[in-house]
Amino acid sequence: MVMDILLSLPFPLPLFILLVGSVCIPLISILSDKIGTPRVRSYWTLLVASLSLVSIFVLYTQLMAAPNNILVFQIWGQLPPLGGCFEVDMLGLFMAFSISFLGLLVTIYTISYMKSEQRLTEFYSLLMLVMAGMLGVVFAGDMLTLFVFWEMMSITSYILVAFLKDTWRGIEAGFKYLIMSSMAGAFILLSMSLLYGFTGSLNFATLASTLKGAPLSPWFILLFSVIIVGFGVKSAIVPLHTWLPDAYSEAPDPISALLAGIATETALFALTRVLYLIFEPSVFMIPVAIFAIATMSLGNILALRQDDLKRLLAYSSIAQIGYMLIGVSTGLAYGLFGTFLHIFNHSLMKGMAFLAAGNITHQTGQRNINNMQGLIKMMPITTISLIIALLGLGGVPGTNGFISKFVLLSSAIGANLPILAVIGVINVAISMAYYLRVVMALLNDKGFKNSKIGEAPLLMVGITSLMAVLIIVLGIFPNPILGFASDASKSLLEGLKNYIGAVLG
Amino acid sequence: MIETFTPLIVSVGLLLSIGFLCLIVKIDAIRLLMGLEIMFNAANLAFITFSTQQSGFVDPYAQSVVMITIVLDGAVIAVGLAMILNVYKHYKTLDIRKLRRLKW
Repeated sequence: MVMDILLSLPFPLPLFILLVGSVCIPLISILSDKIGTPRVRSYWTLLVASLSLVSIFVLYTQLMAAPNNILVFQIWGQLPPLGGCFEVDMLGLFMAFSISFLGLLVTIYTISYMKSEQRLTEFYSLLMLVMAGMLGVVFAGDMLTLFVFWEMMSITSYILVAFLKDTWRGIEAGFKYLIMSSMAGAFILLSMSLLYGFTGSLNFATLASTLKGAPLSPWFILLFSVIIVGFGVKSAIVPLHTWLPDAYSEAPDPISALLAGIATETALFALTRVLYLIFEPSVFMIPVAIFAIATMSLGNILALRQDDLKRLLAYSSIAQIGYMLIGVSTGLAYGLFGTFLHIFNHSLMKGMAFLAAGNITHQTGQRNINNMQGLIKMMPITTISLIIALLGLGGVPGTNGFISKFVLLSSAIGANLPILAVIGVINVAISMAYYLRVVMALLNDKGFKNSKIGEAPLLMVGITSLMAVLIIVLGIFPNPILGFASDASKSLLEGLKNYIGAVLG
Repeated sequence: MIETFTPLIVSVGLLLSIGFLCLIVKIDAIRLLMGLEIMFNAANLAFITFSTQQSGFVDPYAQSVVMITIVLDGAVIAVGLAMILNVYKHYKTLDIRKLRRLKW
């Protein structure tokens, strides 16, 4: 009975659960403070995050039963070409799985990490809202729905970056992030108005069936550049990346993990979906390839001179966005398969690296690499997991980062863009230079020994080592995630006509 | 019927460049937010402009979109103002040239 009501909701179920959870949490924390059990809010957040992950599987079974593997949710009975709607396909489900999975891990970590924080209610509420915003972006079926959830994700992430308002660092980073990212929001709105001017509608199905394959005109080139600027700022494509190192290095550690692990990738996903919706791949192949080269080269070169561990990881995530753009620029299902596989793998590796950096900051208060000499003697488990994550980010065989990087670089050759593969390999070599620098510092034998510093609390170490194990396991037995990512990439290229059929009939 | 498309689309372009220049040139944090607001309004005006181009009527869909986006950019500005309060608390100034302590 309850199940039937939940399945007939006008929203995708995970999104609904997160929104309700986020709205309910102030009430729950007032009640729990009254009866003297302040930890109830943490358990509520944990419950909501795990329910959203479970409901992804419910959605998966629903999707498998649906004709043509596509689900269209009409928001309050509006008919899709005119009103807003959600579209759930394999691609959206894959992204939603990555978001909920990392979100659940980060939530568990936060319960232990933020124990002494006074404003936990606000923090949890925002954490659930940012996850809901990302889920809305990946499930959106028209540009207006995408924009609304995009802004929801953006606004909550500004606040979360500047959450520790007693220090100047977070505030400065958050203000920069807000200015640049909302300017991008204005550009997205402008691109929406252009799309509306072309077609008279904002639904993805109408846009694709009207605009795809249309001859290039100056208005189209304007539209292309506005889309690149609008979605490019949040996905940190290189000339627009300047906010990222500040914001991701100054945010609280779990938030850095969540934002760097999946929020940037959600933005990249939105860019990919809109580009593949409107243009033929031959139109944007060359510009995106140039952006890919610039993004990975600059990210890696700037990361070489960082001493701050979190800042180094932030620059490395710019470089990883560059690798993902290789797959987008190929226009092949194989390249996109590499991109989405790398999105999932990167969310594990980068999330884990930031969480391990959080462990170190929590125990020692240090973020500078030079002050982490010989940390393996004091925090062995954290250090080993951090080393696994760094080697995975560098693409060492045996970790899941190797598989997705291999797919990405070989897809560049398959798409007749060998220059991308060559520059990609050079960049992987450069990136190993700074990852190994961190590894060397951590393993340094002559480092100081401070007996007061011990291993981080059990829950935090547990999460980081679980993710390290997953990195290794998915590097050796990647089959389950390979099939999922392959379905996702196929649904971006071939699922479009199913969606057009589902909406326009 | 009076031709309205060209003057409107030209003013969209003008507003957009004014907002963008404001973001680049101005050094006061609150003026930056004003620049953002001008850019959002340029995009909203673009929606209204295109909605007049449907045959014979003004499309209500564009206007409902504009309603929603006005609320959204209002929220962005509210968060921005709250952040400016905190900037002033830490830096004792609104001059954004002073917000440069984080090194690249």
